[in-house]
Amino acid sequence: MARFLIRRLVLLVAVLFAVTFLGFSAMNFLGDPLFNVVGLMAELDCEAIEAGSAEDTSLDRARSDCETVAEARATYHLDRPVPVRYLLWVGDMFTGDFGTSFQNDQPVAEIIREKLPETLILLVMAQIVSLGVAIPWGVIAAYRANRAFDRGSTVASFGLLSIPNFALGVVLLYLLSLRWQIFPSAYESDSVVGLVFSMVLPAATLGLPLAASYQRLLRTDLITTLQEDFVHMARAKGLPPMRIMFRHALRPSLFSVVTVFGVSTGAMIGGSLVVEQIFGIPGIGREIVTAVVRDDFPVVLAIVMLVACTFVVINFVVDLFYSWLDPRVRAR
Amino acid sequence: MAPDQTTAAPVPLLSVRDLHVRFPTERGTVNAVNGVSFDLYEGKTLAIVGESGSGKSVTAKTLMNLLPRTARVSGEVTYDGRDVRALAAEKVKHFFGVQMTMVFQDPMTSLNPVKKVGEQIAETLRYHLGRSRSEALEEAVELLDVVGMPEPARRVSQYPHELSGGLRQRVVIAMALACQPRLLIADEPTTAVDVTVQKHLLDLLDELRRNRGMSMILITHDLGVAHGRADDVAVMYAGRVVETADARTLFFDMRHPYTEALLRSIPRIDDPVHHRLDPIPGRPPELIDPPDECAFAPRCIYAQSDCLGGVPELSGLVGLHRFACLHPTGTERGMAAMSSNRAAGATAAGLPVTGSGGGSG
Repeated sequence: MARFLIRRLVLLVAVLFAVTFLGFSAMNFLGDPLFNVVGLMAELDCEAIEAGSAEDTSLDRARSDCETVAEARATYHLDRPVPVRYLLWVGDMFTGDFGTSFQNDQPVAEIIREKLPETLILLVMAQIVSLGVAIPWGVIAAYRANRAFDRGSTVASFGLLSIPNFALGVVLLYLLSLRWQIFPSAYESDSVVGLVFSMVLPAATLGLPLAASYQRLLRTDLITTLQEDFVHMARAKGLPPMRIMFRHALRPSLFSVVTVFGVSTGAMIGGSLVVEQIFGIPGIGREIVTAVVRDDFPVVLAIVMLVACTFVVINFVVDLFYSWLDPRVRAR
Repeated sequence: MAPDQTTAAPVPLLSVRDLHVRFPTERGTVNAVNGVSFDLYEGKTLAIVGESGSGKSVTAKTLMNLLPRTARVSGEVTYDGRDVRALAAEKVKHFFGVQMTMVFQDPMTSLNPVKKVGEQIAETLRYHLGRSRSEALEEAVELLDVVGMPEPARRVSQYPHELSGGLRQRVVIAMALACQPRLLIADEPTTAVDVTVQKHLLDLLDELRRNRGMSMILITHDLGVAHGRADDVAVMYAGRVVETADARTLFFDMRHPYTEALLRSIPRIDDPVHHRLDPIPGRPPELIDPPDECAFAPRCIYAQSDCLGGVPELSGLVGLHRFACLHPTGTERGMAAMSSNRAAGATAAGLPVTGSGGGSG
């Protein structure tokens, strides 16, 4: 177990290094960071201006601009080579300093602290919706495999999988919020209950297509498990069908779902960009869209790192979960 | 424990009459079981013997209501005066697993890989007998002890993959015995374990059956397994019982050529060294659209033209020595059939017969 943990930790560090280094390099080479900070001033030929005559008052404006530029260079270490800048950035991060946004000088840590909870609530609720829908759905479909319910649910799940999430979001919003007025149409943060309630539709928008794919996987695995001898044995022991389903068949059938659960968390963060936009949730998803458009690279990098971190941690939890699911994994 | 008073008016514990099982498939209907009837009395062992595809396992699964939903079943199964198929349809609680239960062929797959063996045994006790968790686990340890599991107290908290095949089959047996069933169906209980363990397990089953006054249906492809352990034997072929009798009669005075051929294909300890076994020629028959003839005729060295003219009926009454053959071995008709086939060099179904091949009955 200790070796397993150490291996995982090494992997986490390696993934974070790769992701941030690539991200950092990309942000620095695909565009001039100086330009992103100071705008057109970055184009000034400051050496020529410095060399100019001190009496020439027409250059005063340019001189102060050049000072701003020099200051920006110093603040963001833009006078150092990229690898050094990367190391400095990493070093700052360890002290809790994620840098400041180019846009409004707000510390990145503060932005994340503000926006992250909304996104986290959304993602957790979406996964709750997806599993909460998929497990009973998959169980019933497998129990009544190839009967009316199962056939109908196959159609329904392919329907859900093929609707893009912005369309699903709009449909849910129209039906459940505008038409039947069950859920609020916009983000609320007055109370915890109100917040959770207003997140139901966004969470469903993200979670339902996932529920459909989990359901397909669970159904297939369950049908296979239900043909196993130990299920026959459980039936010969006289246990009732639903007890056999939940106590014997479900656990060994969860592997595919759990695997995809881990992987889909990454994809879900992508999906949350759109969903946050549709439902007006001030979360990380919206923040990263703005930051990317404006080349606000401290913000982009911090969020990318956060996403990578979450992804690795969730997949680590998934691996722990495997060994809970199947004791044979523990032996290895 | 066995209610010996019932011997005055013997009523079978399990009675099967005219059981038919069909599976509709894309290639046609599979006639897996065609009119099987037998009785099993309290405390007795019935061995059902046959090759794979003979319908013996399907028969067992039908008794336990384990067939897939697509199976079409007809006939009567009565347990202690109750209609088993009706009980199953009504989803009666505490019947399967308590009154009758089953042990499967492969201990590697018949235990749930993700549950501790103790839990798997205790589960039945908790569900059927309402035991608490700790009581049930204690009883599980006792049961493991009964089935001869070394260190039972440690084994209850192990997972199936930590045990060998033989030990796993002991767990399966302990699980089946948990609620003191009156009828145990053992479907090839030793086929998947090492030969060295087979005899131990069979003797264990036999001992448990005797100590607990259980009845047992022992399903096997190996007549040798049935020998000395079964009171009655039913030989199945192509979904039919082709011969059934008490064990002694069946082994020493069999009438059906298939029974004879099965016995002859078993190696014997007193055979001379390098003695060739007599395999049964050909393969088991198709169960989809079987021709209207004795199903064994194409492989039978006694086959005459009348064997191809319809399926022979089982003779006599249930409980007596019954066989479904027009030219039974050990009778004059059989002798005559054999010598005419030898003279012709082939049977009526076209199977070549050499002068020396088997035959003296």
